[in-house]
Amino acid sequence: MSLPGPKAHIVRLAAVLIGAIFVFLVIKEVATPSSWNYKDWYRSDALTLNASYEVSYGGNQSCVTCHEEVNQELAEFKHQALSCESCHGALADHVKEGEKIADAVVDDESTWQCLNCHDARVSKPENFPQFDLKKVEEHGEIEPDMVCTACHTPHDPTP
Amino acid sequence: MEAFGLPDGALVNYIFPNNAHVTWSIMIVIYPYITGLVAGAFVLSSMYHVFGVKEFKPIANFALVAAFSFGLFAAMPLLVHLGQPQRAYQIYTTPHTTSAMSIFGYVYSSYLVLLMIEIWVIYRKVFIEKANEAAGNMAIFWKILCLGITTYNPESAAFDKKLAKFLAGIGIPWACLLHGYVGFVFGSVKAVAWWATALQPFIFLSSAIVSGIAMMFLMYSFIMWRRGQGYDYVLIKKFIITLWIAFILDYALEILEITFVSYEQGAHWAVIKPLLMGPLYNSYVLGQMGFLSLGPILVLGIVSLLDIRDKALLYLGNLGSLMLIFQVLVMRFNVVVGGQLISKSERGFVHYEFEFFAKEGLLTAGTIMVAPFVTYYVISRFIPIFEGKSMDTEPKRAQM
Amino acid sequence: MENSKIPDSRREFLVRLLEGTATATVLMVFGPGAMAHGPETGGSQHRDQAEHKYAYIIDVSKCIGCGNCVRACKRENSVPTDYFRTWVERYVVRDEGVYVDSPKGAIEGFEKLNKRFRENIKLSRTVPKMCNHCHNPPCVQVCPVGATFKSPEGFVLVDRDYCMACGYCVQACPYGARFINPVEHKSDKCTWCYHRVKKGLLPACVTVCPQKARLFGDLNDIDSEVSKLFEADQWMVLKPEMHTDPTCFYIGLPREVV
Repeated sequence: MSLPGPKAHIVRLAAVLIGAIFVFLVIKEVATPSSWNYKDWYRSDALTLNASYEVSYGGNQSCVTCHEEVNQELAEFKHQALSCESCHGALADHVKEGEKIADAVVDDESTWQCLNCHDARVSKPENFPQFDLKKVEEHGEIEPDMVCTACHTPHDPTP
Repeated sequence: MEAFGLPDGALVNYIFPNNAHVTWSIMIVIYPYITGLVAGAFVLSSMYHVFGVKEFKPIANFALVAAFSFGLFAAMPLLVHLGQPQRAYQIYTTPHTTSAMSIFGYVYSSYLVLLMIEIWVIYRKVFIEKANEAAGNMAIFWKILCLGITTYNPESAAFDKKLAKFLAGIGIPWACLLHGYVGFVFGSVKAVAWWATALQPFIFLSSAIVSGIAMMFLMYSFIMWRRGQGYDYVLIKKFIITLWIAFILDYALEILEITFVSYEQGAHWAVIKPLLMGPLYNSYVLGQMGFLSLGPILVLGIVSLLDIRDKALLYLGNLGSLMLIFQVLVMRFNVVVGGQLISKSERGFVHYEFEFFAKEGLLTAGTIMVAPFVTYYVISRFIPIFEGKSMDTEPKRAQM
Repeated sequence: MENSKIPDSRREFLVRLLEGTATATVLMVFGPGAMAHGPETGGSQHRDQAEHKYAYIIDVSKCIGCGNCVRACKRENSVPTDYFRTWVERYVVRDEGVYVDSPKGAIEGFEKLNKRFRENIKLSRTVPKMCNHCHNPPCVQVCPVGATFKSPEGFVLVDRDYCMACGYCVQACPYGARFINPVEHKSDKCTWCYHRVKKGLLPACVTVCPQKARLFGDLNDIDSEVSKLFEADQWMVLKPEMHTDPTCFYIGLPREVV
């Protein structure tokens, strides 16, 4: 049996390595996303992906299309500037493809909805209408367990 | 909670809501630990193959195979940690070169290839012998490993030796890159006060070498004990002196880092001081910088400077090495997890709890850490790592 | 040359050591280091050519800490519990120090302040926080695969089909704006509701704020509210020392806010 050359194994090793590198480069080419932005280093299709997510809040204009009368009701008062959805919930929970899927009524018995903004806190700006319900003089006479909606209508809160 | 003081005049411990969860935990602690063992073992091997330190000849190939065994599992903790491990290949297709982390894919793979080629070149003769001796499927296995050349030409030895030396040579900076980049990954993050220092790559690298040498010493002691054929005390003495000096350098860097930041009294110190005096007091002050460092310096120093011989060399060396493999592990924990304990609110510290059964928990970490030892054992059943005339089998008196 | 004698001279040792060190240094400096010059990712040229240059303005003096924004963002973007794309912090500055809290990100607003902090208050404000969509985003710089990026109009976005959730971006953000979504197992953060803005809507948080404390608009539109406030130059950014160049501008920001 003749001896292999002194570097025959190196030749084979080199061949295996070159072959492996070649296969790697081919796979790399195939696996790299086709929309890759080489200048800024991201997948351009990601912009479309990020733009495609579902919208939940419609904004007040989306409420007015069906509830024009409420808009009129609010017309002169502070709460008009508020987002309807901030109390009534997102449009997507109420309407789907133009059809109503659920009610969007706020619980009348809850005081939280009002107090969340109007309960006095040291951290709130001074000129913001806030009340410490314990201090009767700030709020007039109220009894325990009374709900805000007993005297105030949310859309027009002036008592 | 407020016993250790809070930074920036904070009256209560306040952390940003998103900081409550520690994103990089045990997996990211053991990952640099394992690559560190790889780098350390490789440097030890190269001390013989490149620099000709003849005392290390008996363990040069052992360290290489050990480096390979650890190297095979270096990526495991990362794959376990990733939320989408099936996308890990992207580090090869679109590495973002502004990120230090992006070089991992290529550096790690090429380093493994380098290790494999060096081992192959060194053990070729053994593979050829096995290919000719074996039968059936095993013969095919060995033949493939020989790349089909099953006759050994003695003239190939000269080139093989040169190639091994070359690979061992470039392997050193390559191992430095494989592990040093990890230090860079941490050190370059300005947002984490405990990580951000230019010394980080050097601290990581020097502690890696310490952990590698210490682990190799422990493994050597254990294997020689199991073989029952005695110990090479000249080697052991050299081991210990090398480890002692390597650790002094490492400890000096770690001391330098803390001295700088505490001297500067800058923005970082305001959050680092309460961190080190509070949540990290036990693991950093008492553990990493205290007992686990001063102990080995003392023990290994005694061995290095005094005329200690025979079994005493062995026991003290093992004691020091055992403390050091924990010192480096605790150091990785202190850096990785410790850094994340400082909330970016700069007014509070995050609470961290060890998990045992979780995906990234202690059980997984333990399994990953055991795997390289099992792999080494399996490899040693196939190729003779400690046989051969280069190994002194008679116990020797250490010469001063 | 073929005789490979093991060198034992100190000189050879030092030469080899030097060679190795030089190689390592070169590789460490000119390897990843060369690329990491951290320019404004996205390229300033890239950005100037964009039709829109969006900015977000927060007027801290108007915020009442009601949490509408936090709730709306959660609903709009399916943000998991205990994680936040936006949140509100309450600062109470006293002589003794600063009290800060953000109970569940202020998703239910703020309870009354604990009695022991209610005396000698020098200043108290609620401050909304979110991703700052920096011009020089460290999160984009560190992403190893390019899964997070700055869009031409200035939104810093996550590519959910590409992110592998390594978590580096979470570490790099100085503002705590990013997190790994525990449901999706991908990186997540405020997107300024890119999907809404692209359809001509405002981000959800801006839509529901009762005080107009949160404003969003195009700096390229000189008539927009944000343009006017921006030009008035009474704004500050968070952690300016980090040199991230944020595009969220705070008006009336107390100096204690981090």
